[in-house]
Amino acid sequence: MNRIVSTLVVALACLLPVTALAGEINLFVAASMREVVNELSADFAVKNSGVTFKKNYGASGALAKQIENGAPADIFISANVEWMDYMKKKKLADDRSVATFAYNSLVFAGRPGVKAASLHDVTKLEKIAIGSPKSVPAGEYATEAFRKAGIDKQLEKKLVMAKDVRECLLYADRGEVDGAFVYKTDALQVAKSAKILFTVPQQYYPRVTYPMALTVTGGKKAEAAGFYRFLQSAEAKAVLAKHGFLVK
Amino acid sequence: MPIFTSAEYMAILLSLKVSVVATLVSLPFGFAAAYLMTFRQFRGKVALDVAVNLPLTLPPVVIGYILLLLLGQKGFIGQHLLQPLGITLIFTWKAAVIATAVVGFPLMVRSIRLGMESVDERLIQAARTLGAGWLDTIVTVIIPLSFRGIVAGAALMFARGLGEFGATIVVAGNIPGVTQTIPLAIYEYTSSPDGDRMALALCLVSVLLSVVVLLLHEYLNRRIAKAD
Repeated sequence: MNRIVSTLVVALACLLPVTALAGEINLFVAASMREVVNELSADFAVKNSGVTFKKNYGASGALAKQIENGAPADIFISANVEWMDYMKKKKLADDRSVATFAYNSLVFAGRPGVKAASLHDVTKLEKIAIGSPKSVPAGEYATEAFRKAGIDKQLEKKLVMAKDVRECLLYADRGEVDGAFVYKTDALQVAKSAKILFTVPQQYYPRVTYPMALTVTGGKKAEAAGFYRFLQSAEAKAVLAKHGFLVK
Repeated sequence: MPIFTSAEYMAILLSLKVSVVATLVSLPFGFAAAYLMTFRQFRGKVALDVAVNLPLTLPPVVIGYILLLLLGQKGFIGQHLLQPLGITLIFTWKAAVIATAVVGFPLMVRSIRLGMESVDERLIQAARTLGAGWLDTIVTVIIPLSFRGIVAGAALMFARGLGEFGATIVVAGNIPGVTQTIPLAIYEYTSSPDGDRMALALCLVSVLLSVVVLLLHEYLNRRIAKAD
């Protein structure tokens, strides 16, 4: 019994210094940025020894609410402007540091045999997946595009709402739907059999913007501020572009 | 209390509909599985036991994903059985029923088994010696004496069905008015910037429904206990 207790104490003691490490940066990042932020943080860690990252990926809204409820976050990257505004309103983000990190574009992805080259062709298909418009920004942009293109009524009964962009792609990949409206970056990274069939013209939907900010606690940490500057560097922009994001 | 729009009423009604149908559809199967596991000796009994209880420990998302793989356009059952018959299940409320039925099945079987195990074996033997066939024995001895377990199992499964989320959202999607049940609607509201009030209101509905079902379950239990 004593041995078990002492082993536990030693194990706990091993864990403690890690959580108290000065060079740790907590990232709260929208799930669609997972791959690119993994690469950027790895690059940064190589150049700055002693810096470690704790990364939390999820839906922008879920992340914002976690931060609101006290989760330790230094940098927040949201997939839409609304959640960053929410953070500003709740005085959780360092106002001066709010900046645009990257842009994305909306595409229609489906299996290669599907015939669709424009929004109007989509109305001829049977089933189309989008993210739930209330909670998934990509779904909101897609419904906005349907309205602007005047095809929302025709599509109403054909839409399948998925819980996120990755689930949309899963349905498209497996042929459960004819195609899905997703971000270009997700279609490039995640899709296996589904290919990008066309890009939705920008005039139909507001620009997909990823804002980023230091949180109030993150603003006081030198390492976090350093990484934040790195995210705006030309080097970071090259990595973003490589993953299919737009940087201007 | 905010006033619900038709989408929320639809979600509440759909939750009830899915749970009721899933429970009714599962009852005969649940009864058969419990009967086999309680009264019959056969090879592969352990395998059946594990298979029945598997959904209890698997993450519901896994169940949803497996169902999608099986029932989808390219899935084994979907392609060879459902398509020739012209049936589409994926992304309809029927898919939600199947997901709910699979997830709740172990709970139902467990309750029914408990009821059956409490039946005095000598009564069954007496029925058989008096000339009753196995079907006759089931109808006149086993069902009446394990009725409590059956009702408890159905109520538990119904309650579980009201809360089903993980499997449903994968195999049925989150389509308002078609497959969006209460938990899915709550999920959608909690992940939208101004959805807190609606989410809380729906949570309240969810709690109320669960309390009512569990109270009913308790009440029935007591009544049947008294009758014994």
